Amino acid sequence: MVEQTSQTITQKTPLLAELKKGSSDFSSLVQQLTETVGKEGVLYDAQELLVYECDGYIVDKNAPDIVVFPTSTEQVSKIVKLCNQYNVPFLARGAGTSLSGGCLPIGGGVMIVLTRMKQILEINLRDRYAIVEPGMVNLHLTNALKGTGYHYAPDPSSQGACTIGGNIATNSGGPHTLKYGVTTNHVLGLEAVLPDGSIIELGGPTAEVPGYDLHGLYVGNEGTFGICTKAIVRLTRDPESHRTMLAVFQTIADATRAISEMIAAGIIPSALEMMDQGIIEAVEEAFHFGFPLDAGAVLLIEVDGLEIALDEEVRQILDICNACNVREIQRADTPEERLLIWKSRKQAFGAIGRLSPSYCTQDGVVPRTRLPEILEFIEETSKRYGLKIVNVFHAGDGNVHPILLFDERDQEQIQKVLEASEEILEKCLELGGSVTGEHGIGVEKINFMSRIFNQTDLDAMESVRNIFNPRQICSRDKVLPPIQSDEKSTVKQSHPARHAPH
Amino acid sequence: MSSTQSDSLEEFIPASQTELSRFMTDNAATSQKQIFPVGGRTSLSVCCASSLSGIQVCTSQLNRVIDYPVRDMTITVEAGMRIDHLNEIVSAEGQRLPVDVPQSNRATLGGIIATNTSGPKRFSYGTIRDYVIGTSAVDGTGNLFKSGGRVVKNVAGYDLKKMLVGSLGSLAIISQVSLNLRPKPETLSMVWFTFDSYQKIDRALEALTTSGTRPTAIEYCNSKAARQIAAESRFELPCENDVICISYEGSNNEVHWQTNKIIEEWKEFSPLSAQIVDSDHATRLYNAFVEYQTSSDDPVTLKAVVLPSQMLKFVEAATELNIAVQAHAADGIVFGHLPDSASSLEDVKHILNRLKKEPSLQTGYLTIYQCESEWAEALPLFCSSPPGWSIMREMKNAFDPHQLLNSRRFAELVET
Repeated sequence: MVEQTSQTITQKTPLLAELKKGSSDFSSLVQQLTETVGKEGVLYDAQELLVYECDGYIVDKNAPDIVVFPTSTEQVSKIVKLCNQYNVPFLARGAGTSLSGGCLPIGGGVMIVLTRMKQILEINLRDRYAIVEPGMVNLHLTNALKGTGYHYAPDPSSQGACTIGGNIATNSGGPHTLKYGVTTNHVLGLEAVLPDGSIIELGGPTAEVPGYDLHGLYVGNEGTFGICTKAIVRLTRDPESHRTMLAVFQTIADATRAISEMIAAGIIPSALEMMDQGIIEAVEEAFHFGFPLDAGAVLLIEVDGLEIALDEEVRQILDICNACNVREIQRADTPEERLLIWKSRKQAFGAIGRLSPSYCTQDGVVPRTRLPEILEFIEETSKRYGLKIVNVFHAGDGNVHPILLFDERDQEQIQKVLEASEEILEKCLELGGSVTGEHGIGVEKINFMSRIFNQTDLDAMESVRNIFNPRQICSRDKVLPPIQSDEKSTVKQSHPARHAPH
Repeated sequence: MSSTQSDSLEEFIPASQTELSRFMTDNAATSQKQIFPVGGRTSLSVCCASSLSGIQVCTSQLNRVIDYPVRDMTITVEAGMRIDHLNEIVSAEGQRLPVDVPQSNRATLGGIIATNTSGPKRFSYGTIRDYVIGTSAVDGTGNLFKSGGRVVKNVAGYDLKKMLVGSLGSLAIISQVSLNLRPKPETLSMVWFTFDSYQKIDRALEALTTSGTRPTAIEYCNSKAARQIAAESRFELPCENDVICISYEGSNNEVHWQTNKIIEEWKEFSPLSAQIVDSDHATRLYNAFVEYQTSSDDPVTLKAVVLPSQMLKFVEAATELNIAVQAHAADGIVFGHLPDSASSLEDVKHILNRLKKEPSLQTGYLTIYQCESEWAEALPLFCSSPPGWSIMREMKNAFDPHQLLNSRRFAELVET
């Protein structure tokens, strides 16, 4: 069981008011919110609020004071204006699948849950865009497009639950972003309610708009620039065909060399995912796919495109794998077999429960050619701390997800996990990488920002945030560290814990 | 560092980012002269720089490779590097930056980011914003700030590099850039179709949305532009009618299959002619399409961005005004060279006013892409307010509080 975090979340912006239940302000705000969205659209019972005290990052928790469920942009705007009127902080939440605390309501206040704004407003195949509300589940858009020859390309592994608005907030990735790019490459424009309640449009359905690329800037703001209420997303042609393979290697070094050789040979697979021995064991035990348990690593390789070109591409990949001492290659010859292979990747996290009562997933990035070094470092770290660490990740992007296994009832292990995670992320930076490839900074990695960026860089980011959100009334204390660089984040980690799959 | 001075315009050529930063800090603190960042000087006519007084900051000496980890398929270079030079370096490794750049022997990387330059292949490969993974830039007060990094996937912090794409040097001077690269394709082929009606073209373009082929570029040109493009490519092509020219890239096998397939698919739209152009001819023809947007000696070049489904309606109106038109058809981006007969400012304004009323522009924008310097002050760069204009103004004030960086260019974004 996860221990309740001690109250370590402090008010950073004293100008904002603390909502006290039972106070006249609280009652009055609840009443006005109820008038705005209806009685069924407002929660303020302490038990009901517990559901919203964190997202996929559960190290720190803090329940909001009130949760509202708007159904239109106008309602969001009214809610935000009320929050301004009562001087209380607010933030948006979609499905809560964020993994870095982006939905943690620091300072309490009002949480605006967008899951009732889930309509597809327009699908325009000729002009290759769709307009959707932010609470639309990612996969539902692709499902709605089935049979049209088009799809929405960004596919985080949580796409069955995560929302498009959340994807925009975090600029999320996924297995197929190696070839097709992350969310920002697929957002043409958006509508947002700014932290003062005004409604603004950025970008649009046309290929470009004059002036600064504000919608590009907005994507990945982690909820700190306002609340996205509508998204215009690019639609992508379905590939004519796929080839999906599992390449089994004796060692991680051989597998990573094959990755590097493929990219160097000019082959950009649509997905290139790696699982190491630790995760293979878990997956095999759970699902009996037939993985050899003594293999060092397995690569899931998918190429897509025109049928006429794929066999040649597969031949090149096989040659490269053979040159890198591949033990065997399993090919998916039917859609069912392809689905099975993908199941092994996407359900890998579900299998981890067989290995350990708790786990913590990290999200480091290194240049692709430095994968052997980071994986070696992770292994060393594992030995040094006496912690089991397994790996399943987007190898083609250099985006590693070491999964640190532990028992959260053991305080000593918790401390080890924290320290080992920090060392691994530091190593990613040392190798020329980053501490987050797709999960975001949120509150989890806020103390890394001053190690990645100097004060001038951070000041530039701060000045942009101040344009959108000058009072930090919206999604406060996220992304950027406190202005005094020696000051730690206002959220202290008590212990890491289980993270949702990604 | 070196500097020169003429009557109204000085020039400063920094040799390093630090030098650039120091110079900008000093200028902001003391003389507060207007600053005009220039790379290859290929886009100065977008807004008349020559009639202005101040300092041209030229990035020509910021042209070094900082890091090229070939097998990572990324490169970090200084922003003053010319595109041809960049292409030469990465091409030797079988890689490329898949962005079309006219006048690439002069244009610089920083310049094409600042102007958001793109060409026909944006349809399949996107634009420069999709390849920039990190930037360093110096703002109006001399602050050297970076965004992103050198890895292809990175979401740490706000995406400030996006803000610089298309900013026309009005927020900061881009000094260093990290790029994601792509493999060079084996071959390029094109199919040149001519049609005798907009209706047939429209039906054919609509059918492309479900074509069995995957074009890399879909170019439209009216007969006036077609004649110029064909002449430039030095290849005999039918150009008495409107043209759709479709490009394919990839392995020889797949390109050959696709060029034949599209001819088969489009038989039902009764093209007047269909001609495959490959090998060196294809490269020359493709380059002619890339260069055409800036190649005219005509006094004014317009750029319109409309929904692809509205492209032909806009083109029809422009053609009636005797404008030579090229369009990235599937992106709805139209370049129009005004005729020589538009010899006065009044003529140009008349044409602009006619086009601005086009219903096809209802979801879209009309821009003065290039014009003669003596008319620049009288013509708005953009003919309507962009969305988020108030935020753009605040950003301008935050990054250039003394309004020193291409300020007129920024102010001219919208018609006053």
